[in-house]
Amino acid sequence: MPRKLRMLLAAAGVVALTAATAGASTTSVTITSPRAGQSISLKKNPYLAIAGGATFAPTTAGTTRLYLRRDGCGTSNDNPHLSIATGTDGGDGCGLIFNAVVGTGGDVDQGAFVDFPSSDGMPLALSTAGPITGQVSLTGAQVGLAYVDVTLEALINGEAVTLGKATGSATLDPTGDYTPVPFSIQPSSTLDGSDLQALDLRVLVHGPNVYSGFVSLNGHSFADLPSHAASVNESVQVSLDDSSFANAVPARLSGSSWSVALQTPAALGKHTIYARSAQGFDTSATASQTFTVTK
Amino acid sequence: MKKRVAHLVGALVILMAVSLIGSGAALAADPTHHPLYMPNANNIHNPALQPPPVCCVPVAPPVAGEPAPVNMAYFGGHVQVTPKVYLVFWGWGQAGAFDHTTPGMPAYDPDGAAARMTAFIQAMGGSNWAEVSTQYYETVGGTNVYIQNPTNVLGGVWYDDTNPIHDNVSGLELAQEAQRAVAHFGVTDLKNSQFVIAQPQKYNEAGFDGGVGYCAWHDYTQPQYYPGVQPGISFTNMPYSLNMGQSCGQNSVNTGYYAGKLDGFTIVLGHEVEETITDPGAEDVINGQNLGGWYDYSAYENGDKCAWVGYTFGTTSPSTVPGGLNNITGNDGKQYPVQSLWSNNSAAGAGYCAGAGDDLPTG
Repeated sequence: MPRKLRMLLAAAGVVALTAATAGASTTSVTITSPRAGQSISLKKNPYLAIAGGATFAPTTAGTTRLYLRRDGCGTSNDNPHLSIATGTDGGDGCGLIFNAVVGTGGDVDQGAFVDFPSSDGMPLALSTAGPITGQVSLTGAQVGLAYVDVTLEALINGEAVTLGKATGSATLDPTGDYTPVPFSIQPSSTLDGSDLQALDLRVLVHGPNVYSGFVSLNGHSFADLPSHAASVNESVQVSLDDSSFANAVPARLSGSSWSVALQTPAALGKHTIYARSAQGFDTSATASQTFTVTK
Repeated sequence: MKKRVAHLVGALVILMAVSLIGSGAALAADPTHHPLYMPNANNIHNPALQPPPVCCVPVAPPVAGEPAPVNMAYFGGHVQVTPKVYLVFWGWGQAGAFDHTTPGMPAYDPDGAAARMTAFIQAMGGSNWAEVSTQYYETVGGTNVYIQNPTNVLGGVWYDDTNPIHDNVSGLELAQEAQRAVAHFGVTDLKNSQFVIAQPQKYNEAGFDGGVGYCAWHDYTQPQYYPGVQPGISFTNMPYSLNMGQSCGQNSVNTGYYAGKLDGFTIVLGHEVEETITDPGAEDVINGQNLGGWYDYSAYENGDKCAWVGYTFGTTSPSTVPGGLNNITGNDGKQYPVQSLWSNNSAAGAGYCAGAGDDLPTG
């Protein structure tokens, strides 16, 4: 099974750090049987063998890095978001919490989480071969132990799905520019191959001795998602005499070939077969072939 | 607990005061007409958004986050005994209706709001939430005919991209669209039908756009208020709730960024739909005849009295107030966030907000 093979490859560590965008994938389909204008005897062929070829974008396993970005701090246009592109952020060092030291055993937590929803890089073909890892870097007048709670939520088939939660911690270094706080989330294997429509990273900083918990951006905070370069959900649909595919039937895919058997239409004369392939949310142009049914 | 007891006592006192005034049907409404607004969570006190009081009892503004006490009365108009809700997505497929797309979602519904509202209306029939309204009735020939809770209340869905919409549409234009919907669906039973004119992200009703402070409103077409429009149409102005974020309910029940993103749509839509079922005539008094169904002496309908109960603006947390915003289970087994509805029968007849699965404890 190609999908299983891809998972094994990913698990073996064949992971290239890429900023893959599944949305750039393309797919196409052809019909090789019946041939154009072919005559088919209804008596001899109660079932019609239909076949063709299909191409899909490579589904190479890799990792997609999504950076935490923020356009401003304390304005109506802060726009915290995730992006596959990094750069200088106007909201670098924006504070999540600002509180006095509460001492040992205390935990400063204003409940002021910040959502970073994806602004690009979607759809994304998720792989669960490995954990989602990343770091939220803290900066500012940092001192003491800090915790960073992260929650990853995705939109899959129009439904909200929590990929997982994690808490990372680090002892902040007041002499450094920033201190990375790593996190790791292992999504459920049932989500393997899911096409993520959108993603949100929720960040909450807290800790017993945190005077200020400012998130360092400018490429210092990110999440790495094991993913495929294109969706692993590949299919071909076939429709007889109906270009709307209202009652399409799925074809059997085998590598770059597909096939399906349909009942030969009882009505004698010309008929048209329509086929189209899909890879995730991408759908190919429709291919068609006309044939003639004889007695 | 003390607060709740105080409420109940207060409700009883005010109830007695109302009974001294006389029956609801005998009261005259303020002639100044405006639609019945659902204030957003930040404008629950806004005097401009309150319904005109029915009569002479001084009305204290509702307390934010708490039910507005005293029971509702029947004012003599019709109710929707076998309700049918028609959803009109006006201009959702029109160019410029949205400023974003989402992979795998239709361009005419990138946030899934239309799909969510449609699913909600399909799923609300037969629910415990909708059951609350079955205690209310209309009186026909001396007989009380009670509202029913049928499984299927979705009358139809129309994506109208033929009649152009624009930003800052007026109430009259919404009424005209409702009239077009009546024709589109071929509806003849107007009394049991209501039309929700849902607007896309970038084209909304002027008052909503202008920050008047409401999330939606419902009304009833009469020549005095909607000249040129077929009389007797119950319709809802349903702007794009998400534009107002948390003040119109985003993430008010469900915590996740996406899990709670559409919370406001079903909370607001549910409010308007159930108000229209129990008061399709929208408190209109025409030539001395009261067309209104059920509301209290302050003119609060079953939705108004329970709006934003248990909600602290901007905070998603399980409501600890009975009757607070909550998820209900629809007839499809899925969860939908709603507000509760006023039930005269609750609290041993003193009335309370009910139906959202977090009712007052009994016994």
